[in-house]
Amino acid sequence: MKKKVKVSTVIICIVTLVLMLISLFPYYYMVLQSFLPWNMVDKALVPKVVSLDSYRYLLGGNAAGAKDALKWIRALMNSFLVSIPTAAVSMWVGLMTGYATTHMQYKGKSIIYSSLLFQMFFPVIILLVPRYMLIRPLANHYLGMILPLVISIWGIFMYINYFKTVPSTVFEAAKIDGASDMKILMLIALPSTKSISIIVFLSVFMTRWNELMWDMLVAPDVKMQTLNVMISTQFNQNSTLPGPMYAASVMLTLPVIILFLCFSKYFKEGINFMLK
Amino acid sequence: MNKKKINLMPWIFNSPYIIYSLVFLFLPLGWALWLSVTDWNLMSPKYNVVKLGNFIKLFTDEKVHAAFWNSLRYLVPIVILCFVLGVGIALLVSRLPEKLKGFAAVVFFIPYLTSGVSTSVMVKYLFSYNSAFSTFLRERLNLNINWLQSDMAFGIIIFMIIWKMAGYYALFVLSGIESVSEDVYEAAMLDGCTGIKKLIHITMPMILPTLTSVVVLAAGLSFQIFSEPFLLTGGGPSLSTTTWQLEIYNASFVRFQSGYGAAMAIANAVQIFVVIQGITWVMNKLSRKFGW
Repeated sequence: MKKKVKVSTVIICIVTLVLMLISLFPYYYMVLQSFLPWNMVDKALVPKVVSLDSYRYLLGGNAAGAKDALKWIRALMNSFLVSIPTAAVSMWVGLMTGYATTHMQYKGKSIIYSSLLFQMFFPVIILLVPRYMLIRPLANHYLGMILPLVISIWGIFMYINYFKTVPSTVFEAAKIDGASDMKILMLIALPSTKSISIIVFLSVFMTRWNELMWDMLVAPDVKMQTLNVMISTQFNQNSTLPGPMYAASVMLTLPVIILFLCFSKYFKEGINFMLK
Repeated sequence: MNKKKINLMPWIFNSPYIIYSLVFLFLPLGWALWLSVTDWNLMSPKYNVVKLGNFIKLFTDEKVHAAFWNSLRYLVPIVILCFVLGVGIALLVSRLPEKLKGFAAVVFFIPYLTSGVSTSVMVKYLFSYNSAFSTFLRERLNLNINWLQSDMAFGIIIFMIIWKMAGYYALFVLSGIESVSEDVYEAAMLDGCTGIKKLIHITMPMILPTLTSVVVLAAGLSFQIFSEPFLLTGGGPSLSTTTWQLEIYNASFVRFQSGYGAAMAIANAVQIFVVIQGITWVMNKLSRKFGW
């Protein structure tokens, strides 16, 4: 009996391993090519010589990039400067709105809830041109890039779904003890949402980090471009520099992957709230 | 007096959301509806009201036709492949030894984190004339294929999207499978229900709500494709890979027909609404028939 189980487990492990290799191969390839000397790029699948040429080219110090040596670092910083505030605000607004629409009693709650539902399924593409018009005075400015995408309706619903599972007696007990709503939110609600907050923060961060269309429209100036936009403009047409292209892609994807890996243990709990 | 003070807090908590949705949702929404009946060109202060002219033009515009049909052409393979691979990966991972489960789930999740931009520029380079891949085909096999301007382009984009999304949906299915209680399986086992039979009669019906969400999410996704056709093919060859998002972007910001672009976006929204409603209806019927 025990042996039989083992055979099937081994088969499953092997099949899973093959699928994992398929899904990770593009990553492996990208990282590998970014560390090869330029004459070896795309000609090897195992690293024999490691070289930082591609990164040196991107990050300055090279004659070819001397004209604007810092542009890739600046693009990376822009990506962080846009994504971190967006994620933080989304999380905070999600917490407040989520709490208010589940555990507070007031007139007009159902209007807020209907408005949220409407927005949840609303195709944002309709708003593209008017949002662009609204934001045009703030073009090439961080505020213009951040504001229109600063709230995540999905994030609010993550908190709503979570708070629905928390019995309201928890908060009522605190209220009877004389705690103010702000205190309850900060001292009771916020700590209990740890894994939801982490998931909302990371997911919004990732979505904002990978945004292309809006950043392209609102921040065409090369000084304001996010890394995502800069890769799309620099490596879209001329494909004479594959090495730096792989290196820039590593710079773009690695921060997000590292962040998710650091917090991956919170995901198991959080994913249950995503589908409700 | 005291009561009034208490009632203020919910509105303080809700105020960021309310301000945001007034400024960035309801105001632009009204504006968009107004734009859709004008011929405004994004720049000039002058424009004419063309009433329903933009909407009538939609019916004869080959780009709109292409976007309409392509969104369905994208939808079918994306939904089917995401579903099959998502369920497949989830079943495999759920049978792994406990220690490996978490690791495997993380690995399958990683492609979801990639930016469409980085995969697109890499794929574009891979298929470009001077790349190692093309040179190899040309010199060794005497094949000279312009991949991204051939019928293959559509398949390449589908493949990229599936690679990115399948593992993400698998996580949803996995969490559905894990939430089915052991008792159910034990009862099924006593009745002699194992293997494929168990999968079809117990597991799948039990997780139907999760499967419904996956199908609806994947369907919604196929209306939001932008980076891949924008960077890889520009919508070609002969509009075969174009999408609503790309055409709306081009109309509004490249050809400066912003009023017309707004009308296109409304048509797009109507199609999304009808398709998603249809899929939800079918899935609900299915779950009434087979679900628990």
